[in-house]
Amino acid sequence: MDPMDAIKQTYFQECDELLASLEEGLLSLEAGEADSDTINAVFRAVHSVKGGAGAFGFQAMVGFAHVFETTLDAMRSGKLDPDPEVVKLMLRAADVLADHVAAAKGEGTVDEARGHAMADELAALVAPEGGAPRTSATPASPAHDEDGGDEWGFKPLKFGDDEPAAASAGWRLVMRPTKAMYAKGHDALLFLRELSRLGPTATTLDTSWLPNLEGLDPEESYCTWTVELPAETPEVAIRDIFDFVGDDCPIELTLSGANVVEPPAATPAAPIDIDALLNSVRTPTAEREALEGGAEKPAAAATPAADKGASKNVPAPAGAGATIRVDLERVDRMIDLVGELVINQAMLQQRVMESGAARSSTIAMGLDELEQLTREIQDSVMAIRAQPVKSVFQRMPRLVREAAGATGKQVRLVMEGEGTEVDKTVIERLSDPITHMLRNAIDHGLESTEERVASGKQEEGTVRLAALHRSGRIVIEVSDDGKGINRPKVREIAVKKGLIAPDASLTDEEIDNLIFLPGFSTATTISNLSGRGVGMDVVKRSIQALGGRITISSIPGKGSTFTLSLPLTLAVLDGMVVSVGEQTLVAPLTTIIETLRPKPEEVRRLGPRGAVLAVRGSHVPLIDIGVALGQRSEPIDPTQGVVLLVESEVGGRAALVADEIQGQRQVVIKSLEANFQRVEGVAAATILGDGRVALILDVDAVVEKMFSDRRDAAPLAKAS
Amino acid sequence: MKLPQVLDLAAATTLRTQLMERRGQKLALDGGEVERLGGLCLQVLIAARNQWRVDGVDFHIVNPSPAFADGARLLGADDIASLGDAP
Repeated sequence: MDPMDAIKQTYFQECDELLASLEEGLLSLEAGEADSDTINAVFRAVHSVKGGAGAFGFQAMVGFAHVFETTLDAMRSGKLDPDPEVVKLMLRAADVLADHVAAAKGEGTVDEARGHAMADELAALVAPEGGAPRTSATPASPAHDEDGGDEWGFKPLKFGDDEPAAASAGWRLVMRPTKAMYAKGHDALLFLRELSRLGPTATTLDTSWLPNLEGLDPEESYCTWTVELPAETPEVAIRDIFDFVGDDCPIELTLSGANVVEPPAATPAAPIDIDALLNSVRTPTAEREALEGGAEKPAAAATPAADKGASKNVPAPAGAGATIRVDLERVDRMIDLVGELVINQAMLQQRVMESGAARSSTIAMGLDELEQLTREIQDSVMAIRAQPVKSVFQRMPRLVREAAGATGKQVRLVMEGEGTEVDKTVIERLSDPITHMLRNAIDHGLESTEERVASGKQEEGTVRLAALHRSGRIVIEVSDDGKGINRPKVREIAVKKGLIAPDASLTDEEIDNLIFLPGFSTATTISNLSGRGVGMDVVKRSIQALGGRITISSIPGKGSTFTLSLPLTLAVLDGMVVSVGEQTLVAPLTTIIETLRPKPEEVRRLGPRGAVLAVRGSHVPLIDIGVALGQRSEPIDPTQGVVLLVESEVGGRAALVADEIQGQRQVVIKSLEANFQRVEGVAAATILGDGRVALILDVDAVVEKMFSDRRDAAPLAKAS
Repeated sequence: MKLPQVLDLAAATTLRTQLMERRGQKLALDGGEVERLGGLCLQVLIAARNQWRVDGVDFHIVNPSPAFADGARLLGADDIASLGDAP
């Protein structure tokens, strides 16, 4: 990767984090938690985004961020009250800033009219005291803190060849004293005085990390200094001044926008609290810390945004601890290799067993230890990929704001369990379903304000988004306190669309599940928000593609809850290995309720080919796996095989018939789509210990196929 | 309130405490006796200025000694003496 690109990528990653903390801060302001620390954090976020934008020449972003920052500064200095209206405006301004960042990434465009209108609105907030309101022309100017911002003294470093060299050729020294430096009796003043003896200096003080007096630790170091020195000053003379403080006062020295001379990434500026660091390493959360992106992490000092964002001189906020960024590809490669290791280990074990070695032999015992180690390595590697769902959740407040705006409803979003961790691949694919479900909840679930008032509810509707771990899966719940599913209407529509027979007798749950049928839409008018024909069926399919389930519970007048349940990882699976004919198949353990060998009297024939199994008073359909997958034309006698009682999303319980069970084991999932092509009834493949490929059953697809086959014969013939 | 002669590491905590005790009051800090201004005390003074500004109360540093003014200049905060003049 081009080094400049790498730096840019790092800046964008920082931007994502900064935008998230900006939004977080504004939301807590909205919630009435207006303390100066929050306002400072919000200010810093915008300030840092702007700093990097300036360095990369994203002028439109700089312009907008500047206006935003000026308004925030007014709030910070107490000239502007963070009342709800102001904060709402700022939340929308944060959205525009996010658009600017996305545009800079090349992932979208900025609605210029909206941006200008927003800039004007922001400027108007501070206009009464700041003179004439700024026009939208202002944001277009680069405006590096000529006004209002000079006390922060922030000047982004220029580097690379995107920008012409800075006008003043010479050394630029950024010094970041640490608490430890002051504690040892050194003082920033002494260095600045020594520097001033080398020649004429221009010193800029950056106080953007400085809290107000109330939150100030008088012995902590918050300020950084940027000193400009003539180009003819010998580098060694500058460095000599800092020689004896070493890491206690890290410096960055650059010559007129040239390359960074010293790679200070190795010199952490912050006073490192070793105990805290060790503690964080000892806790399991540390190992689950998300490691993502940017393999060739450039010297942190090379990006102004990185400097700011990494909170060098401030007591680190929670989470900004001992983490590194690693290119995702490297992690994936490692996961692949560990997968191979697991397979290889299983194969080795099998060979040893086949060779007749006794279970108690040293070889067999050594292999057992190897197996345990492999498992541990695998768990650790998987933990590296685990990330909190926060990255998806943090996009939702904006979505809810926009959806609320579009529908004219008042909506409050409550989010819980943002720290819940799940594999990165799962996270990436959660965004769309959650987006869709939230929109649905607001558009279809919540009533209009008038309706709510009429039914005695609060004007403001509540939508709740929660994540939690439950029995080895991640569960996402989207609930609203709206009107609940209108079952008579759902039924009526399903009949009208020919999805069910007019006289079909359906339970409430079955009616609710009708909304997952393709092409179903209850909105009588197609709204801008949802109801464009792509409906819950798409959500359901994408969740199923992840090996997940979706369920609804709805109480008329009280609201609905959609519950997604997903595997924590897509890389390994605990499965039951079964034989079907000549084939070895793996059934995901999460779908299996129990296994049994049916007695002849428990099997009842139903029609020419169908059969049901009596299990504790209820009847479940018997499905021969071999027939379902097209391996054989006639089902085997269930009493001669084994039955896997499974819970499927489509048809409730079903009894899958296999020839015999080989055992349970964890298997490494290999995508069939990526390596071959999609096969109906098969979710993926794996490689077994003996080196053979085994297919992993898609239980839902098998059950669904059986149901649709029977539905073709008789609409809604219920098996139980 | 008079600022002490030496505003170094040792003075920072005391200075903060003294200022916090006067929170909410109009302040004119006399810098006439200051012989040395260090980075930490500068932080305290700027943080206090910001705090007073948030509180909406006047804050001034008056009568800066040459040493104070020189220190502030070197530290890139030449305007500290007039920083309290929140417009």
